[in-house]
Amino acid sequence: MTEALLSVRDLRVAFATEGGTVRAVDGVSFELAAGEVLAIVGESGSGKSVTAQTILGLTRGPNARIEGSVRLGGTELLGADEEILRAVRGARVAMIFQDPMTSFNPVHRVGAQIVEAIRAHRPEVGRDEARRRAVELLDAVGIPAPERRVDSYPHELSGGMRQRAMIAMALSLEPEVLIADEPTTALDVTVQAQILRLLERLNRERGLATILITHDLGVVAEVADRVLVMHEGEIVERGSLDEVFYSPRDPYTRALLGAVVRLDSAPPLRAAREGEALLEVSDLVKHYPVRGGLLRREVDRVRAVDGVGFELRRGETLGLVGESGSGKSTLCRAVLGLIEPDAGSVRFEGREIAGLSRRAMRPLRRRMQMVFQDPYASLNPRRRVGQIVGEPLRLQGEAGGAERRRQVLELLDRVGLEAGHYDRFPHEFSGGQRQRIGIARALALRPKLIVADEPVSALDVSIRAQILELLGELQEDFGLTYLFVAHDIGVVRHVSDRIAVMHEGRIVEIGPADEVCERPRDAYTEELLAAVPVPDPRLARARRQNVRSG
Amino acid sequence: MAAFIARRLAGMVAVLFAVSVLTFLIFNVIPNSDPAQRMAGKNATPQLVANITEEWGFDESLPQQYLTMMGKILSGDVISYEGRENVDERIVEGIPPTFSLCFGAAAIWMFFGVLFGYLSAVRAGGPLDRALTIVAVAGISLPIFLIGEVLLVYLTYKTEILPSGGYVKLGESPLEWAEHLILPWVTLAIVYVGIYSRVLRSNMLDAMNEDYVRTARAKGLSERRVMSRHVMRNSLVPVVTLFGLDFGALLGGAIVVEAIFSLNGIGEYAYISLINTDLPPIMAITLFGAFFIVLFNTLVDIAYAYLDPRVKLGEAAR
Repeated sequence: MTEALLSVRDLRVAFATEGGTVRAVDGVSFELAAGEVLAIVGESGSGKSVTAQTILGLTRGPNARIEGSVRLGGTELLGADEEILRAVRGARVAMIFQDPMTSFNPVHRVGAQIVEAIRAHRPEVGRDEARRRAVELLDAVGIPAPERRVDSYPHELSGGMRQRAMIAMALSLEPEVLIADEPTTALDVTVQAQILRLLERLNRERGLATILITHDLGVVAEVADRVLVMHEGEIVERGSLDEVFYSPRDPYTRALLGAVVRLDSAPPLRAAREGEALLEVSDLVKHYPVRGGLLRREVDRVRAVDGVGFELRRGETLGLVGESGSGKSTLCRAVLGLIEPDAGSVRFEGREIAGLSRRAMRPLRRRMQMVFQDPYASLNPRRRVGQIVGEPLRLQGEAGGAERRRQVLELLDRVGLEAGHYDRFPHEFSGGQRQRIGIARALALRPKLIVADEPVSALDVSIRAQILELLGELQEDFGLTYLFVAHDIGVVRHVSDRIAVMHEGRIVEIGPADEVCERPRDAYTEELLAAVPVPDPRLARARRQNVRSG
Repeated sequence: MAAFIARRLAGMVAVLFAVSVLTFLIFNVIPNSDPAQRMAGKNATPQLVANITEEWGFDESLPQQYLTMMGKILSGDVISYEGRENVDERIVEGIPPTFSLCFGAAAIWMFFGVLFGYLSAVRAGGPLDRALTIVAVAGISLPIFLIGEVLLVYLTYKTEILPSGGYVKLGESPLEWAEHLILPWVTLAIVYVGIYSRVLRSNMLDAMNEDYVRTARAKGLSERRVMSRHVMRNSLVPVVTLFGLDFGALLGGAIVVEAIFSLNGIGEYAYISLINTDLPPIMAITLFGAFFIVLFNTLVDIAYAYLDPRVKLGEAAR
C-alpha cells in the first residue's frame, strides 16, 4: 500500500451548546492515499461534514474542543498556527461545498474570486497572469466560452456551471487533496451526473486524491474507491466499495443500503385504476412576462407551463418528474387554483376551476391540499403542533373546542405521532416528524386530492422510506388521489401508477410507471433515467463501460 | 439606466405635487392661522384685514391660492408673511451653512460609524465590543438638544475653547468656518455614529455565517482579507441605503442642530417659519427637502445596483 497522504487519527470534535456538550465527531481515524477517492457516507448529523471541515481547521472556535491528530505529509494540522493552516488551505487541500450559489460571494465576479485564491498563495503572480490561469481552469472544467464567463457574477451562471467554477477555483493551486462536501446534492440529476464525471476525470488525469462527503449511496457507487460509513460521530463500517455494498458487516450500513429506493428495483405491483377522473387538465398555459424599457413593456416571456394536459383518476398516484425550471411548481399552483392560468382548463370533480374567484375557490380548497418540500420552512415556528394541524379546521369553520382537539389527536395518531406532541413546537421535532405534521395538516379536512411537492427530498434516506410508506397507507385508508411531484425518478417510480415527465413547460412523456422507466419513448426521459446514480457499484461500472465504448 | 432615471424623474414630480398639496391643506385647516389677521397685527381694524386679504389673494378659492403660490415659489417671486422677504433668496442663503453642516457631519459619522461597527463585529463579545456598544447606545439614546447644550456649556461657556455658534463663510476664513462648525458637526454626528455602528455590526455578524465566508477561509485567505473583501463589502450595502436616506433628509435642513448653534441655515429658517405659521417659506422648504429625499432615494437605488450585481434597476430585489 502506498504511504498515506493524509492521515486522521482518533479525531474528536465536541461543541459546547446551550443544551450541553455535543460530540459531533467521536474518535474517527482514517487514511487517504494519493490518487484515491474516499467516500464518507452518513445521514444528517452523523459528523461527516464536521470531520471534513476540521481537517482544514474550519470548525475552530471558542465553543469547539478538538482532539486527535490530522497529518498532511509530515505536517500536523490540528494544533497548527493559523499561518501554517492558511498555507495549506486552498493550496494543498482544497474544498468545495454543497450549494454553489451561497458558496460564491454574490458581489464579486467568478474570475476575481479565482484570482484572489491564486494570489493569496502566490503573491508574485501578476493579476493578468492569474486571470489567464482562471480562464484556463474554467476551460478545463468544461465551462463554455471561459474568457467571457470569467467576468460573470455567480448568479449569472446555472447551478451546474457554478459548481464547475467552484471546482475550477479549488484546482487553481493544484492541490494534492480535494474535499468535496455534498458537491452534487443541490443539483439536478442530469447536472449531477456531469459533475461526477468531471470529478472522476480530474481524479484520473491529475491523480487528485478526493474525499467525497455525501448522503447519497448512488453517488458513492458511481465514483468512490473506498467507503467509510459514519453514524453518530463514529465510523461504523469501512472497506472497499464492493465490500461495503455487497457484504456490509454493520447493521446500520445494512439498514442504510436497504432503505434506498432504487430506480431499478421492481416496485410493488399496483392494481390499475380505471375509476372516473378526479382532475382533468387540458391545454394549460401560464407564461410570465419579462418587462423592460421605459414603459415596462413586455419584451419576452418565460413559458413556465406551455400547453399541458393530463387526467388524474380517483385513487391514482400520478408522478410528475422534472428538473428545476421545468414548470412543475407552476403547474401545481395552477391545479390548486393558486394562480390563474393564461389559457386552458382545470376541471376538478367535473367542475371548471381555472379563473374562479377566491371566494368561489374557498369551498373547493378543502378538497385539495398540499404537502410541501421543506418541513422546516413550511411550519410556523411560533405555533404549537395542535394549532398547526387544527388550523384548517378552524379556518373552514369545521370543528371547534374539544371536538377539534379530538380530531387533531386522531390525525396525529394516524400519521405516527403521539398525543404528547400536541403542545410542542415544530423545532422540537426531527425532519421526518415535521413532515408527518405537515401531512396531518393536509389531511385535516379530509381532502380528495393531495399535491405533494417534493415531500421527501429534504429528508434522510432512512426517513424517506418511512414517509413514502405512510403516504401509501393513507392513500388506501382515506381514498386519496396524489399528484406526486419530485425530481428523483426513482422515488417517483416507487409510489406512482403513472408518470408524467416535464421538460421546458411541456409534458414530454406520460404513461404507466414501469413503461416510462423501462421503455422510455422520449429522448429527454432517457437522458434523465441514465443520469440517476445507481447504488450498485457493479452496475455503475457496467454503465460507465457502456458509455465509454458506446 | 436612462429609462430608470426618466421614470424616477416622473415619480419625483408626482411626489413633490403630493407633498405640496398636503402641506398647503394642513396649513389651511389648522385653527388660528388666518394670515391676514396676523399680518395686520393685534389692534388691526377690520378694514385693514380686508385690504390685506384682498391684496394677498386670501379670498380666492383654495386651488387658486395653491396655484398662485406654487407659481411664485417656482419663479422665485414668493414673499413670506412675516418680514415680507423673498423666500427663495433666503433659502439660497441658507444652503451654504446647511450643506457645510451636513457634509462635515456625514463624513464624521460615516468614518466613526464604520470604524466602530467593524471593530465591534471583529471583536464581538469582547471588552472592546462592549465598550463600543455602550458608546453607541448612549449616542442613540441621548437627545440631540441635550448633547448640543452640554457641549456648549463645557466647551464654550466654561472653557471658551470653541465659539458658541454662528456661521462664517468658507470663502472668508476656512479656519474660522471649521472652528464654528466643529460643535454642530459632532452634535449631529453622535446619533448617527451610534446607529450606523450597530447596523454594520449586526450585518457583519450575519455575513460571517455565510457559506461564502467559509469558502474564503477554505481557500486560504488571511483573516483580514476575509473580513474586508467578503464580510465588510457585503455588509455595507444596507448601510449605504441608510446613509442615502438620512443624508437626503438632512439636506432639507437639520432643524434642531441649526437652531441650537444659530447657523442661519435652512433648518433654522424652517424652525422660525414654523413658529410663525408662515406658510410660503414652509411650503418652499418642504419642497426643497422633499426634492433631496427623492433624489437620494434614486441615488441609493443606483448605488444598490452597483454594489450588488444581483439587483437590476427598476426591479424588485430578489
